Amino acid sequence: MTAYIVGLAALPLAGTLAALLGARARGAGYTAIGASIVSFALSIGLLVRIVEHGPFLALNGFVYIDGLSAFFLMTITLVVALASFGSAAYLRSEEARGELSGFQVRLYFTFFGLFAALMLGSLCTGNLGLLFVLIEASTLASAALVGLEGKPTSLEAAWKYVIISSLGVTIALVGTLFLFYSASALHLTGNLRLTWPYLFHHAAALSAPSLRLAFLFAVIGYGTKVGLAPMHTWLPDAHSEAPSPASALLSAALLNTGMYAIIRFVALASVGLGDTYVHNVLLGFGFASITVGVLFMVRRGNFKRLFAYSSVEHMGIIAVALGFGGTLGLYGALLQTLTHAVGKSVLFLSSGDVVLGYRTRDAGRVRGLLTALPLTGGALLLGSFAVLGSPPFGVFLSELTIVRAGFAAGTPWLPVFLLLLLLVAFIGFARTTTGMVFGVGDVTDPRAPYPNRAARLIAAVPLVAGLGVLLMLGLWIPTGLDTAILHAIRAVT
Amino acid sequence: MQSLTATSLAGVLLDLCGVLILLGAFACLGSKLFNRYIAYYGMQSVVLSVAAAVVAYRFDSTPLWILAGLTLAVKGIGIPTAARRLLIKRLDLKRDVAMSTGLSTALIIGGALTAFAYLVIRPQLLPQGLVASAVVPLSTAVILLGALEMVVRRHTVAQLIGWLIVENGVFLGAITLVATFPFIVEAGIFLDLVAAVMIMVVFVSGLTRQLAEASAGELRTLRG
Repeated sequence: MTAYIVGLAALPLAGTLAALLGARARGAGYTAIGASIVSFALSIGLLVRIVEHGPFLALNGFVYIDGLSAFFLMTITLVVALASFGSAAYLRSEEARGELSGFQVRLYFTFFGLFAALMLGSLCTGNLGLLFVLIEASTLASAALVGLEGKPTSLEAAWKYVIISSLGVTIALVGTLFLFYSASALHLTGNLRLTWPYLFHHAAALSAPSLRLAFLFAVIGYGTKVGLAPMHTWLPDAHSEAPSPASALLSAALLNTGMYAIIRFVALASVGLGDTYVHNVLLGFGFASITVGVLFMVRRGNFKRLFAYSSVEHMGIIAVALGFGGTLGLYGALLQTLTHAVGKSVLFLSSGDVVLGYRTRDAGRVRGLLTALPLTGGALLLGSFAVLGSPPFGVFLSELTIVRAGFAAGTPWLPVFLLLLLLVAFIGFARTTTGMVFGVGDVTDPRAPYPNRAARLIAAVPLVAGLGVLLMLGLWIPTGLDTAILHAIRAVT
Repeated sequence: MQSLTATSLAGVLLDLCGVLILLGAFACLGSKLFNRYIAYYGMQSVVLSVAAAVVAYRFDSTPLWILAGLTLAVKGIGIPTAARRLLIKRLDLKRDVAMSTGLSTALIIGGALTAFAYLVIRPQLLPQGLVASAVVPLSTAVILLGALEMVVRRHTVAQLIGWLIVENGVFLGAITLVATFPFIVEAGIFLDLVAAVMIMVVFVSGLTRQLAEASAGELRTLRG
């Protein structure tokens, strides 16, 4: 079982290995796709096993899987699979045009695999110290992806990203230290005092003042990675400057990994400090993020920045859902991590096609996408409506659950305020994307984004598959998924 | 776990190390030469490794001895040498003038932050009375001073040093607050630190080549 889990997390390294052995975009791309599909299948198998047999713990808690981590593993491996398809097509196109050198392509696949493996690894550990180490390492691997193109703007974004995130995650380390310290009275050995299931079991006995510090530092520290306002400033730059498939991975996988770390601390603090305090902190950060995200979404301009601010908004919604609490709130939060991840992957991957076709990231210079690139235009349109929470897509269902949780929590003006913000987001966001898809204007016709039919097909797979998943989640939640989410909730309450 | 009281010899030595590390952070904040930043950081790290050695001796713990050695090798010698070779010499950096406040203002803010750290981290915040010494507020002050350095300095190299000072502050807190932190985690943190410095050095050199002067103040293309 341990080998199974380690193998699952290490599989994306196959792409890294291929790139290090000198494969070009084609070979490394196919390797990454194959490995990510296998690891997605393995994660489903793991989820089934955990739901049936309960949590799994090995190696002194350094390997630990429960319902929550199995659910996040499924989400992240799905995103990695979608992004692998996108990467294979995008990098082939860039390589064929000579925009990226062979070295840069190999660098991309090296760090893409490393980044994915580190994120999966951080979901597989129950040791909060190791969680910090892996999350910090994934920051560094993804920073290389952000700065890949080597232009002044991408280096600037990468610098900002690495320095802000490293500082943030260092704060999370301080939180982890305080958590360790708060367990002094428990007489556990060093390792166990950092092992989440033990801490959760004894959460009521943790010393409250240091647990409070630990919780706050962790929310601020990992919140920097999640992009909670006001620690979100790196996020739009990094997302807009990274190659689009890497942006998809940042937005849909990295942010969720940070949220996963926060949920672990939330679970401890809810028991040790009581729900009210924890909920208020999360609601504060959540509403701040939604407001900031929404306000910046009204601006027109770079469409990848628009999607990035939408990620800030969605992470805020998830924090608010956790803040509403209760089974309903957690259910909404977890469902939202899945639906947002898929929706944002579709958006960023289709934005990759746009960038390749028009060679611009300025929304004003993209017009008539539906006629020029029908599939991309359609995916962008449907994807943006899906992400904005219109039926019949999955995000509608998860946001509905969150609003219901808000009413159930007994503060009716909060969900009303949330709905108001979502409305503004809808207007600001849809104004830009519908303009790109339907608008007419004197813009130059785009080039074909992909050099050959195979690349075109590979690029189409994640768009169609992602939209299919979103549509399915909006119409009907499979029984297995429902059980898995309920199981994940039970793991942290 | 046994307590580390302020009156014991180890406690006094630890306090002394903490004060020296704080002074190092202040010296960095008050300096204007890139060479000096690196020198002060190196000195601070050497003192940090002494502090780790004191705790290791007090608790007779092999992992902490290894940690003290690692600190000396990586932070005290490795990173300063690499930074001097790869950044200062190769990019020909001398005087750092890009600051968003005056030097004296920065120092005054630094003093205020130190006082703040003392006022906030009171003993009652740390209930089980493990650390009777002043090291925890000192390390908090070092973290804040490092963050201040990152804020007021605009040059990327200075920001890098600021982050390393924050890291030192965290480490100082860690060795006193939680002497039995699992070694494997500490080793992982070290690995991250080295990788982070390597990646940052690459970005700093890239930015310097592109912008002639890699001052984060000039990094203002990406906004909104």
